[in-house]
Amino acid sequence: MAVKIIESCVNCFACQPVCPSQAIYEAKPHFLVDSKKCTECEGAFAEYQCASICPIEGAILNSLGEAINPPGSLTGIPPEKMAEAMAELQSH
Amino acid sequence: MQLPVLNEAPTKSGCAASSCGSTENQIDVLPDAIREKVQNHPCYSEDAHHYFARMHVAVAPACNIQCHYCNRKYDCANESRPGVVSELLTPDQAVKKTMAVAATIPQMTVLGIAGPGDPLANPERTFETFRRLSEEAPDIKLCVSTNGLALPDAVEELSKHNIDHVTITINCVDPEIGAKIYPWIFWNNRRIKGKKAAKILIEQQQKGLEMLIAKGILVKVNSVMIPGVNDQHLAEVSRVVKSKGAFLHNVMPLIAEAEHGTFYGVMGQRGPTHDELQDLQDACSGDMNMMRHCRQCRADAVGLLGEDRGDEFTLDKIETMEIDYQAAMEKRKVIHQAIQEEMDSKRLAKAANSAAHADEPKLKTRPVLMAVATSGQGVINVHFGHAKEFLIYEASPDGVRFISHRKADQYCGGDSTCGDGESTLQLTIRALAGCEAVLCSKVGYEPWEMLETAGIMPNGEHAMEPIEEAVMAVYKEMAAAGKLQESAQGIRASA
Repeated sequence: MAVKIIESCVNCFACQPVCPSQAIYEAKPHFLVDSKKCTECEGAFAEYQCASICPIEGAILNSLGEAINPPGSLTGIPPEKMAEAMAELQSH
Repeated sequence: MQLPVLNEAPTKSGCAASSCGSTENQIDVLPDAIREKVQNHPCYSEDAHHYFARMHVAVAPACNIQCHYCNRKYDCANESRPGVVSELLTPDQAVKKTMAVAATIPQMTVLGIAGPGDPLANPERTFETFRRLSEEAPDIKLCVSTNGLALPDAVEELSKHNIDHVTITINCVDPEIGAKIYPWIFWNNRRIKGKKAAKILIEQQQKGLEMLIAKGILVKVNSVMIPGVNDQHLAEVSRVVKSKGAFLHNVMPLIAEAEHGTFYGVMGQRGPTHDELQDLQDACSGDMNMMRHCRQCRADAVGLLGEDRGDEFTLDKIETMEIDYQAAMEKRKVIHQAIQEEMDSKRLAKAANSAAHADEPKLKTRPVLMAVATSGQGVINVHFGHAKEFLIYEASPDGVRFISHRKADQYCGGDSTCGDGESTLQLTIRALAGCEAVLCSKVGYEPWEMLETAGIMPNGEHAMEPIEEAVMAVYKEMAAAGKLQESAQGIRASA
């Protein structure tokens, strides 16, 4: 039972100090979670602390491998709108 | 006739700066104690920004809020926006870099921490840097820029480190508007969204502002102008923050392009035009000192405003530099004194000049915008083709006032293949829309013709002359040639 930080992490350090279990550590190429220490904040907080401050959608996964912050949930940009804008930029 | 130099719009009552003898320079209207503190701060004094340099150290990566104009993923070497950096520093590296820059660029007077996240959301890294610099480089002014969420808790600590300047970014005082700018905040161990989040942020910003003022710390307020979101609201923000004691308000234009991947960029929110920004700054200046020379620099910028010498001070380069800071401090002191003397003597000369011409008849001509190419020292000293930015001045019968700066090649310095095929020259000429003359040390043949075609008179006759004097001389030539007779309507070409 542990969350996982994946490669879209931008190394902003925000999650590290808010983890109640000191499970998050700086690593290359991005921060990692010590799965032995991570408690998914159970008994400490109602919500995952790392995922509550992480600014990057999809960068932290729950124990089922699902994005805790799915596309559009933090920026408010609808995913189809983002895809459209990116396709437009690619075509130049 | 000689006209005074203004930095604020003349008031409607007709009290031009010359008649009440009050404002020759924006900071001259400040109380002595504040002026003393800001006279060598390039970000706070329009005058000082021609001479003194600043630097930012990127020690603060974490942020506790999200703004719709920011994207934490973005890092491009060609990008120049707040919140963007190439290299994150530890406090130890930041101290080394600061001392290396201070020794190499003695005009550097100010060290700021401005990100790339929020400095106060990284209290340990931020305060460790400040603590060490106060001890090891006491001749450098320290300042910090914050979104304000964690500010009330940090005021006590800030006051210990001899930080006498704090900038708070306040985009609104109304949660309805805030909800359109801030999608979330992290507060009391939860991510909070919408109006509720904005309300907490606004309360914290205002409380922090009041606490700083109570401690005698100077506060500047930054606001991002977002057309259709907070543009109508910022005059109110200006009134509120001034009434609480902020000494300067800096209204900056929104930077939003789809390629930045920000909410505003992707959703097609536009930034303000040059005219909209200027109108809002003029509207707010009745309430407060406005800052018009801000360059919205990166969180790791180094050098005079408008230049970035960060490449000279990368981590591997500073590792090899041997710095004798005691010796550097001696040298810095001498140079700072010389600059101060030069600034003072220029100010006196200006005052004497305007007094000598005070009783000449006043022109009744319309105001004109002119662009100036300069790399500092307050003189025209850059070749048109080499200018990375232009300073925009308005000349009118009331005098010359600084309006803004405009980037020559917009926000991207990438190669010609990125962009929509317009040449740099075309982009530059477009950036000068609304100006009727451009003053530089030299202008080449090709741009000369293109500028003339665009209705902008190129002028290379005032190389190495003081900016305001040259602008006024050109204005008088235009007046004498009968070019300024038409009414004030329609002179502003839309940008």
